[in-house]
Amino acid sequence: MKLAVFELTDCGGCALNLLFLYDRLFDILEFYEIVEFHMASSSKSKEKVDVALVTGTVSTQRDLDVLREARNRSEYLIALGTCATHGSVQGSVENAKEAFRRIYGDVKGPTKVLEPRPITEYVPVDFAIPGCPYNKEEVFQVLMNLARGVEPVAKDYPVCLECKLNEYECVLLKKGIPCLGPVTAGGCNAQCPALGLGCIGCRGPSMDANVPGLVEVLKEILPEEEIARKLRTFTRW
Amino acid sequence: MIIELDEFTRVEGIGKAEIVVEDGTVKEARVKILEGPRFFEVLTLGRSYWDVPDLEARICAICYVAHSVASVRAIENALGIEVPPTVEKLRELALWGEIIESHALHLYLLALPDIFGYPDAISMIPKHGELIKEGLTIKAFGNTIRELLGGREIHGINIKPGGFGRYPREEELEGIAKHAESLVKFARRIVGIFASQEPRGAKAEIPMVTSEYLWGDDLIVGEDRIQYIELDEVPVNYSFAKHTYYKGKPIFVGALARLLLKEKYIQGEAGRLLDTYKDKIESRYVIYNNLAQAIELVYALERVAELSNKIASEGIEKGIVEPEEKSGEGIGYVEAPRGVLVHHYRIEDGKVVWSNTITPTAFNQGMMELSLLEDAKKMYGSVPEESLKKKLEEIVRAFDPCISCSVHFVKL
Repeated sequence: MKLAVFELTDCGGCALNLLFLYDRLFDILEFYEIVEFHMASSSKSKEKVDVALVTGTVSTQRDLDVLREARNRSEYLIALGTCATHGSVQGSVENAKEAFRRIYGDVKGPTKVLEPRPITEYVPVDFAIPGCPYNKEEVFQVLMNLARGVEPVAKDYPVCLECKLNEYECVLLKKGIPCLGPVTAGGCNAQCPALGLGCIGCRGPSMDANVPGLVEVLKEILPEEEIARKLRTFTRW
Repeated sequence: MIIELDEFTRVEGIGKAEIVVEDGTVKEARVKILEGPRFFEVLTLGRSYWDVPDLEARICAICYVAHSVASVRAIENALGIEVPPTVEKLRELALWGEIIESHALHLYLLALPDIFGYPDAISMIPKHGELIKEGLTIKAFGNTIRELLGGREIHGINIKPGGFGRYPREEELEGIAKHAESLVKFARRIVGIFASQEPRGAKAEIPMVTSEYLWGDDLIVGEDRIQYIELDEVPVNYSFAKHTYYKGKPIFVGALARLLLKEKYIQGEAGRLLDTYKDKIESRYVIYNNLAQAIELVYALERVAELSNKIASEGIEKGIVEPEEKSGEGIGYVEAPRGVLVHHYRIEDGKVVWSNTITPTAFNQGMMELSLLEDAKKMYGSVPEESLKKKLEEIVRAFDPCISCSVHFVKL
């Protein structure tokens, strides 16, 4: 099977995280031929691929062109990482044109700047793996499933579930630390509560998230404006 | 006529370059950073100081620890937080871990294929598998340190203003020390390989570093001690990254600048290697940034072993120091793997009201263009256009650019 990685505007972490699979990258190479992956290879191709991984937000005209090419060339397209699935940090900018003017003044820049948006707002995707960064075990399993012809399953439970399964002390209720675990999609194995810190919501909303309920709890710890800012770091609710 | 280079490969982020030729002579080289703007300075505004380092880490995946540490140092300077020496040492350890991860990535996976004439490291595996595996082992070790101290391989949130969320155990540090020692012999091999490169690119006439090895309160530029505001920042029409100059000249930051200006720190096996290849480093050609990274990789492994043992034997003071003040202004200068990184905040009542970030790749833009210009002048007309483009891309790669970082360079 042929695999391609397309990178739009992001921090480079989602592409890098694939390289952090180390030895298991070789397992993936047993099933897939990587035909395009600009961070890792100078090879370029215009051929059709079975699976495309797309990282980053659509922030420029160049990004949009690359995304459309990726969709047209691929059988199965995966939105990889929170930028691609929910917009992540740059996607939470309210008015990119105004922000651009404040930062660059009257300078035009090399390509048209668009409001940063997740790829899911522009093209249909076949599967989405959120996370900033995503859990690399998850992308490994998804690619292996696809190679075997098995449709992968999305994780729809909140971080709280994984936190409870690990028997971590609840940082929100026991220590009064702001935590977005109750409304954030799980799959990270509750990494932040494991460090005694609150979940920052980097995987985006979980299914059936009770946001008003969490806001009520957080109001006892934080001013409302800060709650809104925390919630909007990685996604627009 | 304009010779367009394709989008750079085997670098982080999206960028390309063009060479302007008029009347058969190379006139200009432009590096066009195409990565979309990411507005971090705007995103920090109004946010609690406590949440800012986690956000800033997202500027870059390859060097998130550098961003976290620069951010917490700036915040601590602004709010009068003084951390205990163990916290400083653990941060230094985390930064060395990042240098190991980042240099190994660049040297073995991104730059090495140029030396052996392959499109990527994957195609090198049948013939040079051992070397690639050594590289991956070193890179994974760097990430072990990042995970232990930063909380995750990428975008950890454990590095906080005033201390760490979780502190490592002594036996974890001793394990790190042993592991680091065992990897030095692999890293030595890569130094020899990169020492074989022919001089290319411009000469780094004005290297810039932080005043201590991995951070400092001042910047050192050539002979001068300065604050970053003494540099000139210029936006350009063709790129999302602004250009920086010191007294009208392009500066150079990164491993080569560090070895040129911080030689006295480099001891042990790395010190011997630096002596052996002193002439190449002192020639200042930017291609030797690769060699400098390789020598620094050896130094990083040696320093990690020494530092981890020291922290483990001294014992760890845990906890998070609370701020004395709720308002203030502070700058954090840190050496990211690619060079000087600046975070600067004004905080009022615990919230960031003004912020500025300048990254190494942004500092290096002018030098990158000068290198492309000089090499294009040398090669234009004497080599076929395709190989000219390939050679020029190799020069860009020697800077180890981190393009995502370079696109938000701002004073609000």
